[in-house]
Amino acid sequence: MDKNRLFNNLTCHSEGAQRPKNLLSNSFRSFLSSGPELRASAHQDKLHEESRDPERQRRVTDEHPYKNALEGIRVLDFTWLLAGPYATRILADFGAEVIKVQSQKVATGAESNSTGYFNTWNRNKLGITLDMSCPEARDIALRLVKMSDIVMENFTPRVMSNWGLSYDELVEVKPNIIMLSMSGMGEAGPWRDFIALGPTIQAFSGITHLTSFPKSPPLGLGYSYADPAAGLFAVLAVLAALEHRDETGQGQHIDISEYETMCSLLGPAILDYTVNHNVATPQGNNPGYIAAAPYGCYKCLGDDRWCVIAVSMEEEWQALRDVLGHPAWSREERFSTLSRRKEHSEELNELLEQWTVKHTPEEIMNLLQQASVPAGIVEDANDLANDTQLTARNFFIQTEHPVLGKTTSDNTPIKLSRTPARFRRPAPLLGQDNYYVYREILGMSEQELSQYIKEGVIS
Amino acid sequence: MQRRFFATLRVTGGRELRPYVRREHSLLAGLEILDLADEKASFCSKLLADLGAEVIKIERPGGDASRWIGPFWQNTPHPERSLPFWHNNSNKLGITLNLEKKDGQRILRQLASKTDVVIETFPPRYLKKLELDYESLSQINSRLISASVTGFGQSGPHKQYKSCDIIASATGGQMCVCGAPDTPPLKPYGEQSYYIASLFAAIGILIALRERKHSGKGQHIDISLQEAVAATLEHVLVRYFYDNVVSQRQGGSRQNNSFCLLPCKDGYILLMIARDWDILVEWLDSEGMASDLKEEKWQDEQYRRQHWNHIVDILTYWTKTHTRAELFKLAQLMHLPWAPVASQEEAVNSTHLLARNFFVSVEHPELANTGLTPHIYKYPGAPYKFSSSTMKLRRAPLIGEHNTQVYQEKLGLSISDLERLSASKVI
Repeated sequence: MDKNRLFNNLTCHSEGAQRPKNLLSNSFRSFLSSGPELRASAHQDKLHEESRDPERQRRVTDEHPYKNALEGIRVLDFTWLLAGPYATRILADFGAEVIKVQSQKVATGAESNSTGYFNTWNRNKLGITLDMSCPEARDIALRLVKMSDIVMENFTPRVMSNWGLSYDELVEVKPNIIMLSMSGMGEAGPWRDFIALGPTIQAFSGITHLTSFPKSPPLGLGYSYADPAAGLFAVLAVLAALEHRDETGQGQHIDISEYETMCSLLGPAILDYTVNHNVATPQGNNPGYIAAAPYGCYKCLGDDRWCVIAVSMEEEWQALRDVLGHPAWSREERFSTLSRRKEHSEELNELLEQWTVKHTPEEIMNLLQQASVPAGIVEDANDLANDTQLTARNFFIQTEHPVLGKTTSDNTPIKLSRTPARFRRPAPLLGQDNYYVYREILGMSEQELSQYIKEGVIS
Repeated sequence: MQRRFFATLRVTGGRELRPYVRREHSLLAGLEILDLADEKASFCSKLLADLGAEVIKIERPGGDASRWIGPFWQNTPHPERSLPFWHNNSNKLGITLNLEKKDGQRILRQLASKTDVVIETFPPRYLKKLELDYESLSQINSRLISASVTGFGQSGPHKQYKSCDIIASATGGQMCVCGAPDTPPLKPYGEQSYYIASLFAAIGILIALRERKHSGKGQHIDISLQEAVAATLEHVLVRYFYDNVVSQRQGGSRQNNSFCLLPCKDGYILLMIARDWDILVEWLDSEGMASDLKEEKWQDEQYRRQHWNHIVDILTYWTKTHTRAELFKLAQLMHLPWAPVASQEEAVNSTHLLARNFFVSVEHPELANTGLTPHIYKYPGAPYKFSSSTMKLRRAPLIGEHNTQVYQEKLGLSISDLERLSASKVI
């Protein structure tokens, strides 16, 4: 069977496909509909009170001598799950005013406000409710668009246009709006309607197949890597579009395909295919084209403890021999040059592992790095949380959430010397900033707002 | 062979592809960048160059060491034929400069006094010794934005530690959640840490650029490969901090109790079985393959989690009777987010990528006299489509290709100056 044909024939609504019996009635279920919805109305009221305070915003900035890097940029954030919220979190961390739009109906599962997952990806954002299934909601949304610089969303392609919020419609109220749409496959193309999540995108891109040991079944990555990766491309794209707007006065629509973001991260292998017709295969922890030996992941002392070592330069090899105490095997002819070591890498790895199994990964990393040999601990979440380097660089931040209490999360790895990212507030509770956004930004009257709340439009 | 793949393009559904407006003004036009980075962050200025910035790659005389990283064009090692180098340095200008020489340092200072951004990957302290670090350069150009990408960052007890992709993958927490319980931890394919760190650095640069519009001042950006990896672990740290769970490598058949990779007639398929349980069981039952999964006890999510292996056994028996495409198509009709595990060949040849014009033609006129093969190649393009512009790619620079142009235009050096500098091995 021609392998390439299989993929060429994949289309969403293929005429040949038949549904199994009895399944039509169940044909749609919303994503991630599990998970309890925690409400915290007492806290919400208190926070509403705070957001009424006109001094609030100013107080926050007065405490700090510098302006936030992205101050003055307003983002209307329709994103959900991970890829989108990950992107808007970066903008919010650096001071953009990100207004996250939710509704009671969708605030479940990963979008349930008082969960660790939500709190991690939505810090520093404002939260409002707007039920887009109500006809009146569109006008309110367009009023918000008019007040914003950027609109971001990561629904499947039809959703925004079904709400009457396509790019063409946004431009009518805000000619220079920047709209970013991110979806599994992108806005156009034969696969645009595929239902996709991070791990399925990884499977499509080839990285699941390639992340394994040679001649072994696929293993893939044990987490959704494609989502944060796509989120990074999204941030880069909107920042570039802002530059363009500053120069030309023009906004634009950006279409991001998460599938293509993963392909971008496999660029050299793709180029090897299009140029040389070489097909990439799983490499395990082998160095592949990198000139290094010994190189790989080695078992250490302890329960399922591992380290990595990567020796490419001659002085690193000599330093490694010093640390090992110049064992007899290390003087053998078959290990005398890098190319010979690479040729005999399997035997070399076995001999080196006889040493690593006698030491903890911490000992190995310290011993070798002190001797300028590249080495590292295979760190799990607990190791990361206690990593002296990460801790010294404030990679983790402790924060307080009104429902979750004291929480910890990762800081941004983008360390700006003069205007660093700042933690300003935990993720919003559902509709926490309705008052501030609708009254202060949109200028709704008290009466108008309560009417919309009563009708369930703002809900 | 290549031509045949591209000829199979068929658009069978979805919206018609609109040709985007030709670019009149590239997104980052006017932004000037000096790229001193090796393979750890050459992707950073590539991203910005592809968006329209003018990037000058500065290599040591004879070319950067990353030119010796394979695979190579026609599988023959040569510094002008490294495919990773081609990929990571498209749209850049290339000059050579010896930073170990006083004249070289002087020239870099002159270039840095007029540029917007410097990107570098030297070990911390190296540029300080040469008085070419951000502190020194910012004194001659207060608007300068500088990004440093290193294994462990510019501060902390491990800042001098050496790194590369596998070290970053391990110390950043990636490897311990990849692989299977009966295998060692596994590094994801490719140089993921370099690319992720490059993305963070590029974002940092554009954020600093926006800030500079208000303050008139540049700043330094400190990126650690370890942190870049640790910042893209999705559930791993969240589950640790909120649920006290230390995620382990689980192999293909049990990814967080929600996804599993199962064998089909023609490869593997990724199934999501954390939700839509009833649909799945009905589907199996309609083919008479549900076995005992129809029983009431399997309705309990907790029970399913405890007896995962049994579910996987039954599902495997079923998936093996189908091709990936059969299962995938039906799953899509039922809105189940499943996916065929694509080989690299399949992934690259997808009609979808072709229909979206993901690949961009790049000319390699320098290979013209080598005969045989055509010298236009398809490069992977950018994953974003801007309505204001289309992407264009120019091949990576040859060693010192733009020496004359850059040194004459930027610094006003004469031909005799260049000859002198070349003779003293500065360029």
